[in-house]
Amino acid sequence: MSIPLDSNGPSVHDYTCATECTWCDGCGDYGIMAAAKRALTDLGIAPHEVLLCFDIGCHGNMSDKMLGYRIHGLHGRVLPLAAGAKLANPTMPVIAFGGDGASFSEGVNHLVHSIRSHYPITFILHNNANFGLTQGQASSLTWQNQPMNTSPNGIPEDTISPMDFIFSLKPTFVARTWSGDIPQMTRVFKEAINHRGFAFVDVLQACPTYNKFASHEWLLEHCYDANTEGHDPSDLDAGRKIACDTAERVGCGILYKTEDIPHFYERLSPRHNIKTTPVEEVKITDVSDLMKEFV
Amino acid sequence: MSRVSVKVTGAQGQGINSVGEMVAKGLKRAGHHIFGYREYMSVIKGGHSSYQLDIADTHIESSETHTDILVCLNYAGLKTDLDVLKQDGILLHLIPSWKFSDADTTLFEERNITVLYLPMEKILKKFNARPIVGNVLVTSVVWGLLGRDFSELKNMVKEQFGHKGDKILEMNYAFIDEGKAFKETEAADSELQLPAADAKRSDDLLVTGSEAMGMGMIHAGCRLYAGYPMTPASPLLSYIAKKQNTTGMVVKQAEDEITAIQMVSGAMHMGTRAATATSGGGYDLMSETLSLNGMIENPSVMVLAMRQGPSTGLPTWSGQGDMLLSIFGSHGEYPRLVAAVSDAEDSFTLMPDIFNYAEEYQLPVTVLTDKHIAEGLFMQPPYDMKKAKLKRGIVTDQKELDQLKSTDRYDPLAEGGVSPRWLPGSKAATYNAQGDEHDAAGNVDESGENAIAQMDKRMKKMKTLKAALPHPDMYIVDGNTCKVLSNETTDLSMDILIVSWGSNKGCILDTMKELQSQDPSLKIVYMHYTYLWPLKTGWLKKYAALAKKTVFVESTYQGQLAKLIKMESGITFDQQILKYDGRPFFVDELQKKIVTMNFS
Repeated sequence: MSIPLDSNGPSVHDYTCATECTWCDGCGDYGIMAAAKRALTDLGIAPHEVLLCFDIGCHGNMSDKMLGYRIHGLHGRVLPLAAGAKLANPTMPVIAFGGDGASFSEGVNHLVHSIRSHYPITFILHNNANFGLTQGQASSLTWQNQPMNTSPNGIPEDTISPMDFIFSLKPTFVARTWSGDIPQMTRVFKEAINHRGFAFVDVLQACPTYNKFASHEWLLEHCYDANTEGHDPSDLDAGRKIACDTAERVGCGILYKTEDIPHFYERLSPRHNIKTTPVEEVKITDVSDLMKEFV
Repeated sequence: MSRVSVKVTGAQGQGINSVGEMVAKGLKRAGHHIFGYREYMSVIKGGHSSYQLDIADTHIESSETHTDILVCLNYAGLKTDLDVLKQDGILLHLIPSWKFSDADTTLFEERNITVLYLPMEKILKKFNARPIVGNVLVTSVVWGLLGRDFSELKNMVKEQFGHKGDKILEMNYAFIDEGKAFKETEAADSELQLPAADAKRSDDLLVTGSEAMGMGMIHAGCRLYAGYPMTPASPLLSYIAKKQNTTGMVVKQAEDEITAIQMVSGAMHMGTRAATATSGGGYDLMSETLSLNGMIENPSVMVLAMRQGPSTGLPTWSGQGDMLLSIFGSHGEYPRLVAAVSDAEDSFTLMPDIFNYAEEYQLPVTVLTDKHIAEGLFMQPPYDMKKAKLKRGIVTDQKELDQLKSTDRYDPLAEGGVSPRWLPGSKAATYNAQGDEHDAAGNVDESGENAIAQMDKRMKKMKTLKAALPHPDMYIVDGNTCKVLSNETTDLSMDILIVSWGSNKGCILDTMKELQSQDPSLKIVYMHYTYLWPLKTGWLKKYAALAKKTVFVESTYQGQLAKLIKMESGITFDQQILKYDGRPFFVDELQKKIVTMNFS
């Protein structure tokens, strides 16, 4: 995908709208939104050239705080919505935003199938390890022994290790970043948007109201940039290890990436010799040939 | 009307469909008017299933309860189905040393049944052939019993199996000859007198409702299909998937129904035409997404292929019990369109209109069909490629796009409630397709005033749409056929006005022809509803008043459309004929029910 880098191109201001943000003070969504706007403008993508899809959650409240073609859908369902849109017009960048609550509970099924389907979309996971918008219930990613809204004794279930889960599905792009590091997020988002297939970006996000365990301060202390420290994203084993082993430090950056795997649309042989998009192809179609087999 | 029928029964996997389909094709090619009805169970092999072909001297879309020729491929039919035989009927079976009961023997005598035993195993052994070739043998005997020329059958077999090589073809011809020999020695005088054919029909299509609908969608410009298998919607998914290399469509077998409708919604939001199909249980899962589409004013097209419920119900049988679900299912109050197809004709012709309404009015559309239509075998003149129009209601002209503001997208003051829609990627102001209650640009707005303004805007579309929809079709008998009254007539007096929708139409029209031919003075009119919601009741009000009696027919327990009609207009019916056993209305059964109705 070639995106012209043009100093006369879109600016961050082009993405700004007058709606007041409603997130809590210190919410990681402010940083994520800032990085998203920067990444898009750095790539020269104007608001009318992108489709931003949102799930339900605090992150979803971003849908009317910035510009771009946006769609604010149902809880847990952002991935199939974004995938359908992308397959209709593969020339347009489609970015899906979802929280950990939705993505690892209501929508975990879609996460599995989106990765194995290699939909050519970007998925930004707002990972604050709880259901923020409904007032702080534990999610599948909440740490053990944390008193939360509906689990005052900590959750009786195990916590899912998201990176283990993701890597088991043979992804082609896995990155992790965190809401306090706008430059890192910007870099990661840009690479994700440019990725050939399904780009999974885990954004560890501060949630000062409900997440007292992985706070902004905790993240600041534990997150480090693995690429700066020499990690080569083409190394799957090393990437997986860094991703999963977060006992002492949390490795961030592009953890694994390959551009060699065809994505879903490329795998549809009926589309191989077609230069137009399904959007452009809508017309009353003669089906006389199809009728022949029934005569 | 003159009608005969042939019914083939046996276990699934025995080849009932191949026999039925080959006989059907042969008869169609000879210009006979036929209709095929399948019954099967929710298993892959085994169970008890049947394929019935009705043949008449005019176009039919129904089956009769009794049959002239019964073919039993296994013993199950011999135990349970003998009662379907008509007077002077023929029973053809394959079971060696079968002992008929005394009751069976009495039945054979009373009804003058010719019983033929075809020693299939012996014949297969003679040629050292695999059981599957036995289907051709059975077909050949049936062909002979229908008084047909065996060369017709050989030509069809060549067409179907010729590509498999000379050896296979020769084997098949040998079996056709065996069938011919059997017929000539064992059943020399047994032949069904077929009703008159019409040579003009020999080039008609023989097509199921699913295939018709698939072609209709492709014709309407559908470019993406996402589906999850569920009976009886799966054949549509299979057909579209099978054709993808020809059509170039994007086809996705989704991981569940919610994925399917979400992908369709995303695809239509982006600006292509997309569709999915499911049955009642799948609709339940999709319902939240329909509410989303109603709110964000996004077009979507979903086919609800009904089967008998509730729950898993009768998966391979038919019914109409999901009608009210399709109208009221899913939370919140929002505009939607519900229509129902009735046969292979409108399964095709309705599709362009459906997509047009979905896009012009920016709302979710549900198309009802059922197992009877989806899997029934219809004769259909080739579809007219020139009739359909493309109406999308999308702003594409750059000069117009330049004028747009974000607040135009959901402008509450838009005429008729239909505000401008433009596609993502258009060089224009951007907007938010917002699932929360929103202002004109799609920003969240929780004020009371806005809630009223946006609800009014969205629901106004129902009024606008209702005015644009056609009235229900009114059918009367015209000679050997039925025709639609083309104009509103004020002096139409009726003895009976029948009202119904969906697959019942076929049987109702055939019943009307029968009743009318037996009593030409009887004036019966059938009012057929295609568009169920918004519901137009103006004509019903007018014509019900002109009818001596009104009859409502539906395959449900509750009489759902009748309830809806009462809700919307106060009109009630003198009689309701309801059926909920998973089977369609049969023509003789419906005729009897109407004739014996007590109107007092």
